[in-house]
Amino acid sequence: MRMPKVELPLNKTQKVRFERAMEMLKSLSSTTNNSVIVADSIPLNHKEAFLKGHGTSLIDGDLLTTVCGVVINVDKLVYVRTLRARYKPEVGDIVVGRVIKVAQSHWKVELNSTQDGVLKLSSINMPDSVQKRMTSVDELNMRNILVEDDVLCAQVGETQRDGSLQLLLARSHKYGKLDKGQLLKVDPYLVKRSNLHFHFIETLGIDLILGRNGFIWVGEHAQAHDPMVVDDENISSKTRQNILRIGNAIRVLSNLGFTVTLEVIMETFYLSNMENIDIHDMLGSEFHVLVTENQAERRRRCA
Amino acid sequence: MVGLSLGEQHFVKGGIAQDLRTDGRKRLTYRPIYVETGVIPQANGSARVKIGGTDVIASVKAEIGRPSSLQPDKGKVAVFIDCSPTAEPTFGGRGGEELSSELALALHRCLLGGKSGAGAGINLSSLLIKEGKVCWDLYIDGLVISSDGNLLDALGAAIKAALTNTAIPKVNVSAEVADDEQPEIDISDEEYLQFDTSSVPVIVTLTKVGTHYIVDATAEEESQMSSAVSISVNRAGHICGLTKRGGSGLDPSVILDMISVAKHVTENLMSKLDSEISAAEASEDES
Repeated sequence: MRMPKVELPLNKTQKVRFERAMEMLKSLSSTTNNSVIVADSIPLNHKEAFLKGHGTSLIDGDLLTTVCGVVINVDKLVYVRTLRARYKPEVGDIVVGRVIKVAQSHWKVELNSTQDGVLKLSSINMPDSVQKRMTSVDELNMRNILVEDDVLCAQVGETQRDGSLQLLLARSHKYGKLDKGQLLKVDPYLVKRSNLHFHFIETLGIDLILGRNGFIWVGEHAQAHDPMVVDDENISSKTRQNILRIGNAIRVLSNLGFTVTLEVIMETFYLSNMENIDIHDMLGSEFHVLVTENQAERRRRCA
Repeated sequence: MVGLSLGEQHFVKGGIAQDLRTDGRKRLTYRPIYVETGVIPQANGSARVKIGGTDVIASVKAEIGRPSSLQPDKGKVAVFIDCSPTAEPTFGGRGGEELSSELALALHRCLLGGKSGAGAGINLSSLLIKEGKVCWDLYIDGLVISSDGNLLDALGAAIKAALTNTAIPKVNVSAEVADDEQPEIDISDEEYLQFDTSSVPVIVTLTKVGTHYIVDATAEEESQMSSAVSISVNRAGHICGLTKRGGSGLDPSVILDMISVAKHVTENLMSKLDSEISAAEASEDES
């Protein structure tokens, strides 16, 4: 479900608390405010050579922005990152995608990016864990492995020569088809690169996969099993409640624009449990204000 | 409308069976409803209603017209719905036509009752100016801006709010004329009559997924439905209209059960909606 920015009706006290928390967050965040709108001029050190990237344009000797966003300086590259941009794939990223087409010896996967990912038949692991060459019989049986609308987790490989994006599924049970859970969509820039994108939360028995393309999977822990066997067991009520609570925590963080990491999600989860907030009420205005205050408090303590 | 994988479908259905939907709601809980009135100043009445991700606008325009010869003592109401392509790419061009006409028909049935005008939620006699000659024609338009399930309930609520917001100018019949001539009328610019909406019903859609019913389905849940029944109930607890959608058949006892569930849900919904509408009207008066 695409998450729209929901308008929250805040009553007077909630507005005051919310604004106070936002003020604190602003003062604690990095000092320079790099946000720009169209036709703003980017301050440069003219002695150094620089590379102009996306969203900039050299007009009359001045570097002007062509989009609204945040100016990023990476070494000599200057570019503007927009807020609602689609995911820009980088090699080695973990992403979560949905299959849109079954084609000859490969699947096309939707990644919330400018292009669709391509998953080759040779990159998946077979049930008997034997590396073997793919024959024509395997091609005919592709539908037994992945069908349209299936959700899977993969790693981004190299871009192919014709420009399309290659996906890899590593030969372990961690990557692969995702079952028994829900898929959430957040803005891609809220998921930052880190060393760990799969999280198995032992206390709750839940898998949490933060795809860098903004697709987040929350589901029951997948045991290592034969992917060909369909497991029809129902999820227990306790696990389901935890899945829904984490899902709503992610929705709240995405609405407020906070970076989504495991610590922040778990903090929000514990906060909702401590305050005894009903799962559905997590999406109400009171909880949004509580989360903002909690984040401001946490940053203040770390700073 | 994104497809769901088999695992996700099981998750949605299992959740509904356990009374824990994907956003934590119980089966008979509505999403928060936001109402804003007076959004279109040029119309006689208008309202915007948001239920979760579903966003609709309804407007009411009143024009002078002639009553039909079959019912010379009643005004006329016409309902049109437009599903905008901003809601779904599939609505572009002629894609949204089928859904729009289905919604318009269901709303017409729920608000205006049968052909003879009996059981109507809107009192058509109040729209009359001169019997057989002059009456008000109300054009109710609905626009779907964003679609996340449960369009009919949202449109019903928006129309109810828009009607509450509607002000019809007072009309004086200035001269008495012979029977076959049109009388002269004088439309006042200052005096307005508020439309009486105490008997306008609300619409509750019950979606059947597996063996359970849910209220206020999101687009994901609607993709898993076997059938859906929309029931409009007014303040007195009477049923004003009934529409069934969906391919699978329903046992008659199931329908009776759905009706009683709908009546129970309507009590809460009606009071919630009324308070939201009056809050919206009050804040509109302030600004």
